[in-house]
Amino acid sequence: MLGRKPIILMALAALGLSLTAARAEQGVTNDTITIGAFGPITGPAAYIGLGGRDGMNLAVKQINAAGGINGRKLQIAFEDDTHSPTRALAAVKKLIDQDQVFALFCVAGSNATVGTIDFVKEKGRVMYVSFASAPPVTWPFSRNLFRGGTTEVPRYGEMYAEFVADYFKGKKVAIMNGREEYPKNEGNALEKYLQSWFSITPVKRAEFNIGDKDFTPQLLEIRSAAPDVIAFFGNPAEAAIALRQAKELDVKARIFVGTTMVDQNFLAAAKENAEGVAGFALTPLLPGSPHADMKAWEAKWKAEYPNLPVGRPNIFDILAYTDMYAFAEGLKRAGKDLTTDKLIGALETFAGYRSGPLATPLTFTKKHHIGNLRLQPMQVKGGQWEQLSWEGKRPSEILKRYE
Amino acid sequence: MSWQIALQLAFSGLSVGSIYALVALALVIPFKASGVLNFAQGEMATLGAYIGLALATNFGLPFLVMVPLTLLVAAGFGVLMERLVVRPIIAAPEFTVVIATFAVGVIIKSAVRVQWQDNLFTLDAPYVGAPIALGPVRLNPAYLVIIAATLSVVGLLTLFFANTKFGKAMRAVAIDQNAARLMGIGVGSVFMSAWALAAAIGALAGLLLAPIIGITPEIGHLILKGLVAAVIGGFTSLGGAVAGGLLLGLLETYAGAFFGATFKNIVPFCILIAILLYKPHGLFGTAAVKRV
Repeated sequence: MLGRKPIILMALAALGLSLTAARAEQGVTNDTITIGAFGPITGPAAYIGLGGRDGMNLAVKQINAAGGINGRKLQIAFEDDTHSPTRALAAVKKLIDQDQVFALFCVAGSNATVGTIDFVKEKGRVMYVSFASAPPVTWPFSRNLFRGGTTEVPRYGEMYAEFVADYFKGKKVAIMNGREEYPKNEGNALEKYLQSWFSITPVKRAEFNIGDKDFTPQLLEIRSAAPDVIAFFGNPAEAAIALRQAKELDVKARIFVGTTMVDQNFLAAAKENAEGVAGFALTPLLPGSPHADMKAWEAKWKAEYPNLPVGRPNIFDILAYTDMYAFAEGLKRAGKDLTTDKLIGALETFAGYRSGPLATPLTFTKKHHIGNLRLQPMQVKGGQWEQLSWEGKRPSEILKRYE
Repeated sequence: MSWQIALQLAFSGLSVGSIYALVALALVIPFKASGVLNFAQGEMATLGAYIGLALATNFGLPFLVMVPLTLLVAAGFGVLMERLVVRPIIAAPEFTVVIATFAVGVIIKSAVRVQWQDNLFTLDAPYVGAPIALGPVRLNPAYLVIIAATLSVVGLLTLFFANTKFGKAMRAVAIDQNAARLMGIGVGSVFMSAWALAAAIGALAGLLLAPIIGITPEIGHLILKGLVAAVIGGFTSLGGAVAGGLLLGLLETYAGAFFGATFKNIVPFCILIAILLYKPHGLFGTAAVKRV
């Protein structure tokens, strides 16, 4: 028969255990933090997810080699979303409910990401979105959703419209965009800000399907409107074909492209047809840059992935790499006693935080979680992307709605 | 729409249609010989593109050496596929054989992904260059090569089937396997040759497409269009397969121009159904007649 003292001690121990269990966050152990990640590594948008996965994994490997986060190693559970919103939702459900991850790191495109947002909001897990610019990630504001290196589509619209109207002196602008979420959003944003800021109505808007290989009908339609600027939003493979065909069809207009094409990937596919094309970069340095910081980073990347083709590493490798470091900084600032609330609070302390020389400055506040509002104008000269000194003069209006 | 634009669209449609025609041809040849619909035919184009890529990048072979070597390797793959997958189950229900070929296609695509993932690769060809202006129409040399290659393949096949002993043997097998066997024709070797030929034509389609659209595992995503082209043509006629491919390419391109990208795939398939309602055996096909 047990005496009173041992029973009290056992009861206290049980109470302690139950309190610990109540406090323990899913996906966090004494030694590890499990992060769920997803992106397209097969299909026509695989260039996004392959870069995202590889850049993220390189960062995780380096972080773990340096001791991890507050004594814990990062573990990644990765799912392929094939660029489909329904597959992405299935992936996120598996990662949260089955794999019991602590938080999500999204290296998916907008098309897939939008399919996950309601579920992630409902579950309350932190999702750090590296690439997707679709507005629902950050608007309406949700405490647990953060956008890293990319920016919100309306910001694209502001910058694109000012650049096209001011730098390109475009008066007759044609827009050619894919029908999926991201290129359609970019086209809509450009059209909106061209009209509202510069009273320019596009002379033609033509759409295509992801994976299309022939753009003759759209280009002939655009040629008939005689634009002085064509803004193209889609994937690099599609842009490469469209640019070649535009030249073949003698379409004489300056070409502006969306941010996913301001990259080595696009240059590798479009080759000499890329000359003179302009767009905005999401990072201060692009792969292929002669800058010492980029060369040093590329050497590390190539040591890890020696057999990948021309065009890799791409912008998505860099974004995911730098964003994973930023996310890890958030985890570190959250402290040893890691919880979702503490992580959110820690990320909201970022004010112009840069995880390294390749990273764009990130700011999160209690009112908005759009990390990046800066874009660097670039133009292809001599087969390489070169920085332009042009800077937008109009102040951004997009943060007003968060006030 | 001006006539200049109509002409430009026609060139574009014929170029796209030529690729469909090649895939359709490669579907029709083994079907005529062995009665098997090869659902891995699209992946033969994938295989051709990646074999070409490997030969060009790993061995530094020039394009004109790489192309025949690729076709040879692909033909060898066709032989292996026929001997190891198709022939052992040829007596099984048709559906079973079709699914087996479908499985081969999935294996090819997955194997390619294991080695190269879904990264976009490019393959340079010596004929890719500035467009040629022909009046108001601008002709892309790469597309001209595709059209020329398709017409050459059809011409060579026609000559082969009409004038060579083996070609005639293949035709005999296509008409009646038992009668051909009784006449001393090696039906097994005809089957094998038909699959080799089809694999090589599929690989050629991949090689021709690669310099234009780049190489990913999805480059061979043409089986559906090839099938439609073959069905329009009648599925038993080589000329019909080519005509079906060209017609499909033209329909797609003009549908895109008139009705927008959304209707690019809707209009041609509606017309396919209309054609089949009017001519159930396709434009050039005939109903099989059996003496009873």
